Amino acid sequence: MNTRIWNRGDLRLLIVGLAFIVAWVGIGYRLFDLQGAQAAELAGVGYDQRIRTQEIDPPRGTIYDRDGVELAMTIDGWNVVADPQMIDDPVAAALVLAPFTTKEATALATELQEAQDSGSRYSEIAGRIRVSEKNAIEAAVDEADIGGIFYRKQPLRVYPAGSVAAQVIGLTRYDDGMGVEGLEWTFNSELQGREGQLIVERDPYGRVIPQGETRLRPATAGSNIVTTIDREIQFAAEQELQQRVEETSAKGGSIVVVAPKTGEVLAMASWPGLDLNDRSQGTPEALRNRAVADIYEPGSTLKAVTIAAAIEEGIVTRDTKIDTPGSVTVGQFEYEDHGSNPPSMSVADVVKRSSNVGTIEIERRLGRDLHYEYLTDFGLGAPSGLDVAGERHGKLDPPSKWTVTSGSSIAIGYAVGTTALQMAAVYATIANDGIWTEPYLVSEIHQANGNRILTKPRTRRVLSSETAATMRWMLGRVVEEEGTGRRARMTDYTAGGKTGTSQKFDSEAGIYTEDTYASFIGMAPLNDPEVVVVVVLDTPVGELEDGTDLSLGGAAAAPVFAKIAQTALHQLGVAPDRN
Amino acid sequence: MTDTATRRSEPSHARTRARIRSAGGRRSAFLLVIVSMLLIIGLGAMLSASSVVSISSSADSDQFRLFTKQVLWVGLGLSALVIAAYVPYGLWRRIALPVYVAVVAGLILTVFIGDVRGGAARWIVVGPITIQVAEFAKFATLSLLAALLTKKRDLLGDFRHVVIPVGALLGIVAILLLAQPDFGNMLLIVVPAFIVLAASTVPLRFVFGIGALGTLGMTALAMSAEYRKARLLSFLNPFDYAQGSGLQAVQSMVALGTGGFFGVGLGQSRARWSWLPNAHTDFIFAIIGEETGFAGAIIVVTLFAMLASVGVSIAYRAPDMYGRLLAIGIVSWLSIQALVNIGGVVAVLPITGVPLPFISSGGNAMLVNLFAIGVLLNIARARGVESES
Repeated sequence: MNTRIWNRGDLRLLIVGLAFIVAWVGIGYRLFDLQGAQAAELAGVGYDQRIRTQEIDPPRGTIYDRDGVELAMTIDGWNVVADPQMIDDPVAAALVLAPFTTKEATALATELQEAQDSGSRYSEIAGRIRVSEKNAIEAAVDEADIGGIFYRKQPLRVYPAGSVAAQVIGLTRYDDGMGVEGLEWTFNSELQGREGQLIVERDPYGRVIPQGETRLRPATAGSNIVTTIDREIQFAAEQELQQRVEETSAKGGSIVVVAPKTGEVLAMASWPGLDLNDRSQGTPEALRNRAVADIYEPGSTLKAVTIAAAIEEGIVTRDTKIDTPGSVTVGQFEYEDHGSNPPSMSVADVVKRSSNVGTIEIERRLGRDLHYEYLTDFGLGAPSGLDVAGERHGKLDPPSKWTVTSGSSIAIGYAVGTTALQMAAVYATIANDGIWTEPYLVSEIHQANGNRILTKPRTRRVLSSETAATMRWMLGRVVEEEGTGRRARMTDYTAGGKTGTSQKFDSEAGIYTEDTYASFIGMAPLNDPEVVVVVVLDTPVGELEDGTDLSLGGAAAAPVFAKIAQTALHQLGVAPDRN
Repeated sequence: MTDTATRRSEPSHARTRARIRSAGGRRSAFLLVIVSMLLIIGLGAMLSASSVVSISSSADSDQFRLFTKQVLWVGLGLSALVIAAYVPYGLWRRIALPVYVAVVAGLILTVFIGDVRGGAARWIVVGPITIQVAEFAKFATLSLLAALLTKKRDLLGDFRHVVIPVGALLGIVAILLLAQPDFGNMLLIVVPAFIVLAASTVPLRFVFGIGALGTLGMTALAMSAEYRKARLLSFLNPFDYAQGSGLQAVQSMVALGTGGFFGVGLGQSRARWSWLPNAHTDFIFAIIGEETGFAGAIIVVTLFAMLASVGVSIAYRAPDMYGRLLAIGIVSWLSIQALVNIGGVVAVLPITGVPLPFISSGGNAMLVNLFAIGVLLNIARARGVESES
């Protein structure tokens, strides 16, 4: 009896035992599947969720002047942040902190209180400040025993030269440090370098797993940029420009100083200006680089192109007599000369006295196609090639779109739009024995790996050496005692140049107004020019002591040329050639 | 021919005794080796898996805090094992009812004064000691079940004498555990009890009837609570709930997959860095699988399979019915608990939150599990004769 029951129980016991073995074999098979067949995919899911890529910002490159003095550089700045939850009394904290920030104490207190109420753990007190300011905050915070204030390093872009060449250098954006104006913008990709990466394994809370894998791809530092700017000349140009703008109550102005033999831009000034270290000054008006962004009608300074072309083409010589009645009618339009001129003059006198009627006659002999060819050869109607933010092409219609008066108007500098820089290149061509050279601001880019990229400007011959010499001789006469540009004379150097006064066009009313662009473009020393200086003033008004109208280029702009050219030549170490 | 039959028909006592002792001794030694290996693997895994939690949860960032505690409990458990191995198991049969009553009292107490953690009252805190009565209830219930069936051995075909008392015995404990609620441990008592019935001589119609009713009840229960339902749904498609209820299953499989065949190396687990919650308790097997790979994980699986075989063989050769039923009860309990835990880790079973015997962190379980192994050893070495009762 017992035996029979036991046997039945034995079988059931064995089945139970077998069931356990089968279950474990099943588990084993599942393990084999998970850790074999599916392992790669599952491990991939795990890897993807742990791996975090942290970007490493490379140090931004430095912008130097031609002598290696820093114009823009990045230093260690600081960010001061608060954890509102750790601040006991937001009002007390705000009272201590506010003096170091741009915010009012009440506004800061409200901000901190709201952050605290919303459960936020982050509130920025001050961003991108210098170490001295950070130390001051830290001392005050420690003294007042405020908790929850933290300091983090943050790159800070500083401009040691302050307002010098501000519009040329430009600005970087506050939040991400990207260049947004000037060279900072144009050369942003070179300056910012290549981001590095730190790849680490993290836990779900973002903490690094100690034995996780770590991969570092170092950042590549940004390239350094060497500009052609001469700090001394730039500074002088800015000082003189500002002073002249104030004296003449002008709306603004710009100055360009170019080394004609190389195309280097030695100075490029624009007023109104700003101190780059004070972001509140960074208005569009102050940041605009007028030398390249403002288009103006060059007026008489453009006559040099028409006359140089006519001489180069053999149509006139410097002594060819040109009829110069008081006025000439082209189509429906009557062009007049200022002041009283003899009934006929040599080409050289047409330049010296800036005769509109004479220049129009020469243009008529030249013809529109040749005229246009020379205008474009001198680089008008196209960007100069210089990489500056906001540079504009100017305005030059092709002959097919010219009206009956276009040729005459363009000959005397109307119906055409140019930038100060383009005009600098035109006169640099005359100064450089007839070879047009692309002006440039950046001479070298020094990459992190030691490579140096040198700028090689485009050049082309526009005039023969003889024509260029003739033009310089004629421009030299402009600054003689009876010339329109007599106020451009210097004590130490000979010079030549051309005045320009163009009435501003009111595009809304459709008429030319009494407002002017008064300009002077000149070169010195005359026989072997080392500098070409363009001075443009926007709407100068008033009179000189002798009653000369300050809205004229010869009155408003020519004296500025004299000061800057002389300073620049001294700075460049050019021997005086006068007396 | 079975050993038992031979044993009974052989008059040569000296030879028989020697053989019995040596056979029982071999199984005891085998069982001890298996359990020792599991303990060693467990402590090793604990050392790695618990360090991150230890650092963040202890005041002085002591990475060995939980490990040290576990070593202490293993020591205590081994003492319990030694004592149980030398106490004749007949004692447990005699005091089965008082023990059961004490445990029921403890469970009632737990429901009322239990320390509530994570929405469930499962622990009684007495000073520095935390008691989880459910762990003790496993042994007490299975012991009383074995004693009851042994007592009713001649009435096993009678519904009133079997199904009703067994139902009452299990029902009380089950209801008290569900009141905590502790669905996992309730399963770990009811399912092994059912296996004891299945392995006994209770008529199969009762066994199947109880089994069918039990399955129905469990399913209804599982679907009744929202969180259990969510667990069940996420069990079916864990990756669809990877950020919610499927998180543990997904992270557990990720850990195993990361381990591959040979593992990422001891102490190199990534999952323990907060990716896999409860890495040192319910999911310690995933850490073993990650650090030692399939090679290590399959050793643990093999050890548990061997534990089941040796356990069943001890039950098979137990000298009396109580010993046999208690042995199969203990084996079922430990095996089912290991299967449910590892089944959850490898995502072939829903996650129930039960620790892995001999390996997971947890003092009460370690103590009771090692005590049960001690009882098993005593049964293996017993020379008692069936006819003595």
